[in-house]
Amino acid sequence: MKYVLALISEEGGMEDASPEEMKAVMDRWDSYTRKAVENGAFIAGDALQPSATASTVKIKEGEEPVVSDGPFAESKEQLGGFYLFECKDMGEAIEYAKGIPFHDGTVEVRPVMDFTDLGYEDFDPGPVKAAA
Amino acid sequence: MRFMLILIGPEGGWEDITPEQMAEEMKNWERFGKESVEAGAFIAGDGLQPTGEGKTVRGGRDEERVITDGPFAESKEQVGGFYLLECQGMDEALEWAKRVPIRGGAIEVRPVMDYAEYGYEDPAEAGATPAKS
Repeated sequence: MKYVLALISEEGGMEDASPEEMKAVMDRWDSYTRKAVENGAFIAGDALQPSATASTVKIKEGEEPVVSDGPFAESKEQLGGFYLFECKDMGEAIEYAKGIPFHDGTVEVRPVMDFTDLGYEDFDPGPVKAAA
Repeated sequence: MRFMLILIGPEGGWEDITPEQMAEEMKNWERFGKESVEAGAFIAGDGLQPTGEGKTVRGGRDEERVITDGPFAESKEQVGGFYLLECQGMDEALEWAKRVPIRGGAIEVRPVMDYAEYGYEDPAEAGATPAKS
């Protein structure tokens, strides 16, 4: 079963980090991800640029989409990255969430829709599965 | 350049849908998926189960993590899915966003960290989704 780990935290705080501090942080994330890859759990994962770089497209059926600058919700805490993991159940996904090397933050863990339940063949994402 | 399309909208509204209507809706999503794969843009994407199925883990490293049921933010509109797309720039990402077949809602489009800036050739070296082969 696939789970999304949505990584939510206050933005910024790394502006004054020295290259050494930055490297120490990156190393923690690197070893976390490596372990997930070695366990066969890792499908995808990325860090996002700050929410100020976002654009938001509002969509309503029958109307032209409206594009605005910035994130959907202006809040202090924002989505900063995600992992998509293959886990045997929610318990395992939570163990991964607990291991996230956050300085401080929150991980929302959500099971992914299983469309085979509805009679659809699994959508084949192709290259990523192959690469992972 | 990579972009994440975060699909946000009100939850529910599917309880009374007929199998025929569902099949019709699914066709739109299949079409979007196929088109983004054929264009070489699709890296990953999934629909999420309702927030009621989710759990939230709070706290940082070196802390005791606290687990609660449900989503991080109790709001009417929630993340319902995502796409991770390879695009030339924000304009192309926005074109894809406009075509996402949600009935009503919003798509937040966020550029992904540029790992090359930190000296990584393949994002996988930085612990991210591998570059497409």
